[in-house]
Amino acid sequence: MSLVELQGIKKFFDDVRAVDGIELEIENGEFLVILGPSGCGKTTLMRMIAGLEKPTAGQIFIGGEDVTALPPRKRGVSMVFQSYALYPHMNVFNNIAFPLKAQSREKKYDKRAIRDKVENTARLLEIDMLLDRRPRQLSGGQRQRVAIARAMVTQPAVLLLDEPLSNLDAKLRANARDELKEFQRSSNITAVFVTHDQIEAMGLGDRIVVMSHGKIQQIGTPQLIYDDPANEFVATFLGSPSMNILRSDAFSFGFRPENFLPKTLADNPENSRIFHYYVKRVEYLGSDRLLYGYVHGHDNELTLAKVPSNVRVSLDVDCDYEFAVHNSDIKFFDKQSGQRIEEQNLQGVV
Amino acid sequence: MALLIWILQNFWSLLVLSFATLVGLRIAYRFRKYGATRAELSHILRRSPFYLVVLIFCFFAAAPFMIMFLHSFKVDGDLYRRPQPFIYRQDPTLEHLESLFTNTAYLDFIRNSVVVGVAVVIITLILALPAAYALARLTGRWGERAGILMFLVYLVPPTLLFIPMFRIVVMLGLKDSPLALIVVYPSFTVPFSMWLLQGFFKAVPPELEEAALVDGYNRVEAFLRVVLPLSLPGIISTIVFTFTLTLHEFIYALVFITNTSRRTLSVGVPTELILGDVYFWQPLLAAALIIAIPVGFAYNLFLDSLVQGFTMGAVKG
Amino acid sequence: MASASDVLNPRRYFMDDRRFVGVMFLAPALLYILLLVGLPFLLAIAFGFSDVTVGNTELNFIGFDNFVAVWENDIFRQVFGNTVMFTLVSQVFILIFANILAIIFTQEFTGKWFARFIFILPWATPVSLAAIGWLWMFDTKYSPIDYLLLQTGFLGPKGILSNSRNLYWLANPVLSQISVIFVQVWRMTPLATVILMAGLSSIPTDILDQAEVDGSRFMRTLLQIKLPLILPIMVIALLFSMITMFGDMTVVYVLTRGGPVDYTRIIGLYSFQIGIEGGNLAQGAAMALFAFPLLLALALLMLRTASRAEVR
Ligand SMILES: Nc1ncnc2c1ncn2[C@@H]1O[C@H](COP(=O)(O)OP(=O)(O)OP(=O)(O)O)[C@@H](O)[C@H]1O
Ligand SMILES: [Mg+2]
Repeated sequence: MSLVELQGIKKFFDDVRAVDGIELEIENGEFLVILGPSGCGKTTLMRMIAGLEKPTAGQIFIGGEDVTALPPRKRGVSMVFQSYALYPHMNVFNNIAFPLKAQSREKKYDKRAIRDKVENTARLLEIDMLLDRRPRQLSGGQRQRVAIARAMVTQPAVLLLDEPLSNLDAKLRANARDELKEFQRSSNITAVFVTHDQIEAMGLGDRIVVMSHGKIQQIGTPQLIYDDPANEFVATFLGSPSMNILRSDAFSFGFRPENFLPKTLADNPENSRIFHYYVKRVEYLGSDRLLYGYVHGHDNELTLAKVPSNVRVSLDVDCDYEFAVHNSDIKFFDKQSGQRIEEQNLQGVV
Repeated sequence: MALLIWILQNFWSLLVLSFATLVGLRIAYRFRKYGATRAELSHILRRSPFYLVVLIFCFFAAAPFMIMFLHSFKVDGDLYRRPQPFIYRQDPTLEHLESLFTNTAYLDFIRNSVVVGVAVVIITLILALPAAYALARLTGRWGERAGILMFLVYLVPPTLLFIPMFRIVVMLGLKDSPLALIVVYPSFTVPFSMWLLQGFFKAVPPELEEAALVDGYNRVEAFLRVVLPLSLPGIISTIVFTFTLTLHEFIYALVFITNTSRRTLSVGVPTELILGDVYFWQPLLAAALIIAIPVGFAYNLFLDSLVQGFTMGAVKG
Repeated sequence: MASASDVLNPRRYFMDDRRFVGVMFLAPALLYILLLVGLPFLLAIAFGFSDVTVGNTELNFIGFDNFVAVWENDIFRQVFGNTVMFTLVSQVFILIFANILAIIFTQEFTGKWFARFIFILPWATPVSLAAIGWLWMFDTKYSPIDYLLLQTGFLGPKGILSNSRNLYWLANPVLSQISVIFVQVWRMTPLATVILMAGLSSIPTDILDQAEVDGSRFMRTLLQIKLPLILPIMVIALLFSMITMFGDMTVVYVLTRGGPVDYTRIIGLYSFQIGIEGGNLAQGAAMALFAFPLLLALALLMLRTASRAEVR
């Protein structure tokens, strides 16, 4: 049985449907990433799991127990906020010890036990030499670790992280991402991680939940979500540059720019669709060339192609070329609902 | 009129009844919304001590005002009859209220207070608006020090200053003139308003002014055209609180003005409505209440904005 | 377009110069205040060391005579003691009530707007007018409080507190002091509350949410998170209300004029009575000055505490 189960969770703020019917199961020990554009309800969902927000409808189970009506302290969860929310007037030791002291009545921690636990956790996160410092004497990365240490020290069933990396600069961020993943794997804790950064999501998640407008669009491994998007939203939200979508009378279809290559480079031209592609502009991105242009018959739909720089094919502006996409790389979507549909006959389109 | 008499005669039962009705309505509303369940009942039980504390505090805060209201309309025979109860044994009367406005200098007091208040507000704004902006944006460390100096000046109590100020006022021939108050009051209204306004100015994103600078205004114009309009709500609440500060001031008004018809409200009412040892209680109480209620409303209306200004002003930056 | 000479002439752009505009903006207010407060302040000191009276405008310096005379004056000693006692005792109650009220009013509840209106009234009303209400409440014969006590059996022939029909609030030494302190607490609590509310509402919600997730209950969050975080602001509130009280004479002026005997006389009132009503400006100034070093030390101490406390 799964560790956390959300059934029909909804949250409305007056008219705003922040979360609109979520069904989700989180397995023990997995690293689940919730990904979605800003304002899609990720934070709200997480706050409901933590118990900081009461759902308008639906039920939440943790470890098989219905916790919908329980306050946060009874749920065995802990949370790392985007701002880290370190208590500014306490030193690092007291920050990490705070949840232990707060729960000492139920869990019977004595002073020694608290000291041992804090020190062990601090050692694990390599902040044991910072225990006497105040939060404002720490760097961004150190603060983040203190926040994680504080969240971990009570050995929660679930660790909730709301964009904990977004306050770090790009370099530190990549580093912290690796450490976080490593730490989660070694401690085998169940983590729910919220982000709107798809690279972070792809790198960290065992599974990714893609959300939009308070609803789940797709759940799956990073690869599944990237290669097999359930609908047009997921297809275009992931990947940079995003998937080309072209419309025809009956349906839409899409393919990723990196799968859209000059015919001469295609591995397997027999199983590919050929498009006449007019190149309007070329951008050199170092390792790749990014082409902007139009596919014949779709003169209003800007189509991109990403061609590796190391293949020596000359591609010039204002010229027509034959480009190919492997059949399996073309995805079809319903024109109205945007849902994926199975293989279509392309004859009428190209 | 008949309504007023009826309210006065049934004051306490009305108070209790209306309160009970409100509580009843509220509980009924919650029952309709969440159902009359055991959880709901226990919620109400758990909340009631909280409301009880609120009620006790409110009672203490409001007690003198309720008494003021109730006793302003009593005829002498009813008011001065022992024991002194809270109900009307004789019919209420408006006679004392009338005499407050016709036989006393009450209207003069109001007029004087308004004149002084408005003049002080204008002077305060002229001085404090640019100064607060300078503290919020233009000056660095030394500006911060100047701000702290201002704060310390605000802490110098009037009891220390009124004697030499009295001498200066007499020397300038300003005794018994509202000008004396108009000149002296900015000594506390300016530091107070600067502190508040600085907070409101800090809340305006600097990018907006920078945009104005790039668009071709200079610093002063950017202040006038961008910052002032954007902080208008804050400025209005500063005006309200500055005005009431002048309304509250007692010592300077007592010392500088001794002529009855020139006095302001805060001094005039407690000194001039008492003849020797004779207190005219009904007009006195009415005079106090008539001022208290509108000022109370103004405070409540602008309190959030005051709190915001205060908090922003306190944030270092 | 700016020509070369424009660019080279710095005065052309003085309206854009941060420093220049800063000085220009700050100077009028600063000068006005320093003049308006600094001059009388220096004059107060000069008066303290002279024998100036209302009639005699010449300043003859007589050294510390005034201060010595003031200190040897038994009445002044009592007055000084009263002032300190009233200020300290009322601060204790103000802080307690203000903390409770600030916590109440930073929560959501039905009827909050109305409750807030009521509880702000004592602060919104000009002190001298509010004191009139209390003057009536404490009236010798007709006091509504006495009436309540009479009805509940605390007063009257078989009364527990006294067998008279009245307590004579403002005529009894201890009761008059209690009354004055009560009115001061009553009218200063709202201001302190508002300042504390500002402090409480400036605590980031993330911190409070975090405390909740960490398992902290109401009391622990209050004592270990909220109160330490608003400590600097609490010190400012305390400073404000102490100094306001120290330098105020309105309440006692309206309620008791210092009586009975000298039990409620405080420095501000006494220096008014000696300096203005009695015409002895020099003695009055000396009295007011007497408390100033104490006040200054207090203010500096508190400002230091406030800036030391580590928040943010
Ligand atoms: N307390 C609230 N009151 C009213 N509306 C709210 C509240 N909290 C969130 N919302 C609304 O709910 C929606 C979802 O908000 P939420 O904070 O969950 O988004 P998010 O996915 O976390 O976005 P971001 O990536 O920007 O953090 C938004 O439209 C937001 O405006
Ligand atoms: Mg969010």
